[in-house]
Amino acid sequence: MIRVLFFGPVADRVQTREMQFDYTSGMTLHDIIHKVGTQHPGAISIVSFIAVNQVQVRDKQMSLNDNDEIALMAKFSGG
Amino acid sequence: MNDPVRIQTEDFSQDLEIEALKASSQRIGGIASFLGCARDFSEGRDVSEISFEAYGSMALAEMNKLRIEAIERFSLLDARIVHRVATVKAGDNIVLIVAGAEHRAAAFDACRWMIDELKQRVPIWKKEITPQGEAWVTPHP
Repeated sequence: MIRVLFFGPVADRVQTREMQFDYTSGMTLHDIIHKVGTQHPGAISIVSFIAVNQVQVRDKQMSLNDNDEIALMAKFSGG
Repeated sequence: MNDPVRIQTEDFSQDLEIEALKASSQRIGGIASFLGCARDFSEGRDVSEISFEAYGSMALAEMNKLRIEAIERFSLLDARIVHRVATVKAGDNIVLIVAGAEHRAAAFDACRWMIDELKQRVPIWKKEITPQGEAWVTPHP
């Protein structure tokens, strides 16, 4: 199972804080982004940062492992 | 309170954080701090409240990394970072950065660097609540 987390402005657009997808061998980060983007293009359009298991990643072709936690995040505005 | 890096809902005390920093080393000769607080006006609108949301575990991990990097980069003797994640009103505290070094220049530089990096790297979002409605804040440079 792959967990996808949403926060702040992205969560508002997706209208949920978490989605789950069945893991399949060879699955990449791009596959997950595509799945979410197909359902919620307005949410994906404001995603500026992606983290896998709480580490920021830039390579969307990154292979995923079962039980990975992905966060699709808008630009940060803390402080 | 003893943890130098924290995310919390409740308010913090600058005095207690500085006291804790000073207790970490008697070699500290300069302490610089940055206190971020809530404004009642933004982008031409009155702001009644600001609500914060964080990816808590990643935000805390990034803040810890930030502190360690700042200590190494500026040869600090200690540093503390506290960020509230709550709904706050005008004048309320949001974030406190405290940097302690042997001399003032490193403390000032590190303090500025840490708040700038925090805004870029730490997954926290703020939403302004105004009489006209709510809006997530677009980051300022």
